[in-house]
Amino acid sequence: MASRKKTLLKVIILGDSSVGKTSLMNQYVNRKFSNQYKATIGADFLTKELTVDDRTVTMQIWDTAGQERFQSLGVAFYRGADCCVLVFDVTAPNTFKSLDSWRDEFLIQASPREPENFPFVLLGNKVDLEPRAISAKRAQQWCQSKNNIPYFETSAKEGLNVEQAFLAIAKNALAQQNSTVDLYNEFPDQIKLTNTQKSGGNGDSCAC
Amino acid sequence: MEDCEDCEEIFSQDGVLLKQAPATHITFVNTIGTLYISESLNSNKKRFIEWKPNDITVDSDIQDQEWAVVNTIQKRTRTLSGNYPPDYQNRIKCIKLNFEDIKSFRIANKSRQISFYDGKADCLCIFGFQHGSSDVLLSILKRMLRVSVSKRDKHLYIVYDANFPEFQQLDRSFAELNIQHDSRTLWSVFKNLKDHPYETTFEAFSKVTDYVYRSPEQRDLDDVDRENLNRSISEYENTTTHSQGDYEVVAKVPERKDFPRLRPLSLEQWKGHMNSEGKIEDVESVRNLIFRGGVTPCLRSEVWKFLLDYYPWSSTELERQKLLASKSDEYYNMKLQWKRMTKTQEDNFTDYRERKSLIEKDVNRTDRTLDFYAGDNNANLQTLNDILMTYIMYNFDLGYVQGMSDLLSPILMLLESEVDSFWCFVGFMNKVIRNFDIDQAGMKDQLSNLHTLLAFVNPQLANYLDTHDSGNMFFCFRWLLVWFKRELSLEDVMRFWEVLWTGYPCENFHLLVCVAILETEKPNIIQNNYGFTEILKHVNDLNGKLDMAVMLNKAEGIFYQIKESDHLTDNIRLILGLPLLQSQTSYGSHEQSPFEDSAELSNGTQPCCSVDNVRISPDEVAYERSINSSFL
Repeated sequence: MASRKKTLLKVIILGDSSVGKTSLMNQYVNRKFSNQYKATIGADFLTKELTVDDRTVTMQIWDTAGQERFQSLGVAFYRGADCCVLVFDVTAPNTFKSLDSWRDEFLIQASPREPENFPFVLLGNKVDLEPRAISAKRAQQWCQSKNNIPYFETSAKEGLNVEQAFLAIAKNALAQQNSTVDLYNEFPDQIKLTNTQKSGGNGDSCAC
Repeated sequence: MEDCEDCEEIFSQDGVLLKQAPATHITFVNTIGTLYISESLNSNKKRFIEWKPNDITVDSDIQDQEWAVVNTIQKRTRTLSGNYPPDYQNRIKCIKLNFEDIKSFRIANKSRQISFYDGKADCLCIFGFQHGSSDVLLSILKRMLRVSVSKRDKHLYIVYDANFPEFQQLDRSFAELNIQHDSRTLWSVFKNLKDHPYETTFEAFSKVTDYVYRSPEQRDLDDVDRENLNRSISEYENTTTHSQGDYEVVAKVPERKDFPRLRPLSLEQWKGHMNSEGKIEDVESVRNLIFRGGVTPCLRSEVWKFLLDYYPWSSTELERQKLLASKSDEYYNMKLQWKRMTKTQEDNFTDYRERKSLIEKDVNRTDRTLDFYAGDNNANLQTLNDILMTYIMYNFDLGYVQGMSDLLSPILMLLESEVDSFWCFVGFMNKVIRNFDIDQAGMKDQLSNLHTLLAFVNPQLANYLDTHDSGNMFFCFRWLLVWFKRELSLEDVMRFWEVLWTGYPCENFHLLVCVAILETEKPNIIQNNYGFTEILKHVNDLNGKLDMAVMLNKAEGIFYQIKESDHLTDNIRLILGLPLLQSQTSYGSHEQSPFEDSAELSNGTQPCCSVDNVRISPDEVAYERSINSSFL
């Protein structure tokens, strides 16, 4: 059964500087919040095991630098991503305006086979802060215009909605993996098939 | 050890500095003495090289170096033959190298240095000639030992076999060896080829095989000899691949030397280098001391201003005081430019507003765990903010890029003064400005240069990275962008930066530090079969675990390994700022140094000098000198 094999989901978090990417990742993986996270330089990731519909998956969450000029490095980190999480700060309108460019840039650099079906999830972070600049309605409208991207309002500081958001991220990533066998050209299953053919195969090899 | 009376002295030369020695004689390193070649008078007639320190009280204190040299010249006596008197006091200090232990030796430093090797890539001894040269010694060694010049290094002499005095009677060419009359000689040649492929040149080998293969039937070998010969050749063939593999490795990089770190530049040393007007007299030697050990903490706030080009190295105390006043005015002028901006101006100036907001965000998360920046409403955070804002006005094209607050933070923490910190920060930024290119071209270049250097020093690791999606070296991005600020403790990063700011021993030395670390991590990476993801994690997790002194030590060893390789490409030379091959060949025709055009680093005043046909900059000369006087 497919559910028995270990599944790795690669998730990339993108968004402007200081919207809370590192904090969201740490809140989800370590259930911790700190005011003292430094600006991310280069990239780093954390992993977390979780169960989605009775299936154990390992989520590898990639945290990247937020400043625009570091985007050109993305190509090394985006490859093989199963889901892209876009984050903005609900109190900072500019971070909302940048979403289009983050999404476009990701699609260009990761170049998934079906860009229009690639799973994104939008997080409006820092809902614990006032004053609010971007309403939930406005964010949802944007999501609808982008092929119904799921939207969550979170507070990494208070741990609000973070668990739910990442569960949805995992589900979307998994659904994507199941529906399109060949998300990228180098999907692992493809290699496996070749191996089976070479070794002469067992009963389950296809008759092509 | 043999007694002196039983030996005949064949040659002696005084004023010979012991630069490297076996552990047993390490205390005599950096001591002047006399070098002898002697022959034992008993039946074995063994010959050996002996070095004795001069009969003066010498301790290894660096400061006594000059004095020791002068003293030696006064005592100068030069003899070429005769029995030397017994000198029991020096007996224990003597270094003795039996001819049979010397497998190769190398002349360096324009014939002013000779190194002896034991054939296991270990250096037995290095001697420096304070006056005169190694020429006479070399000609004697050539006469007494069967030597041939290495094909890959014209300064390297391979000793074929010193065990057999018969060698002296043999003609120069292997092809002319009278093999059927002296099969022992032939075996020793083959034995050497098998045992010491490192040193035995392929040139020599080809001569022997020519002889063996071309006309074996004409040779009147007895059956035993023939059988031995065949066995030996087939054994050699069996090991050819292996030997060649080893040979390749040796050809890639010479042995790595150890360059211990020294104590930081002390207040006394610093003051000692200043004249009565407060001007630094020997800038290169000061910079060398800093490279070797950093700066003692209480002196940092002063020395950093020189290292970061705020104070000119050539300035007097008075000039510096004047400079401070004008630099202060200049700073506050620029600060006022943004301080005076009205709300409307800001609203109509998106670019400025974005930079301001980015600085604010980053200042609030820069080194907040350190006491200096901890707590709410910390005044130091405001200063950090103001300096970065003023830098925007100073260099609007660049503006603010993430990572810059990391570079400023230790400077402000050390200097505390807003104006001084600003100008020192400007100096640091000038050194690393390409890290912040809008298109990241500078970072990409560095990552690519890092890969080039790694491929030269450790092709196996470079190849592993290439075949594991990691040839882009992106996992080193953080190291390079902020010069290990995120990896090291505050104290270590201060030491590390001041060492790198000296610009010694070469350009882009920080890339060699990266090579050193990656090489250290190589077993982890390869044995665990890490791919890009795992390597990135592993490298990020080195944060807080790196030993800065070890890194620097190793990186310097790597630098010399690269520099002394004789297959250095211009590509590597360019990265490290070494003279290019083309310029080397044209030295004889004109006097211009390749460094004169790009004299960024070499603001020294000494003339360039030529060593081993390679022009080296004053910086390098001073650097080598400091090594010699420091610990070799």
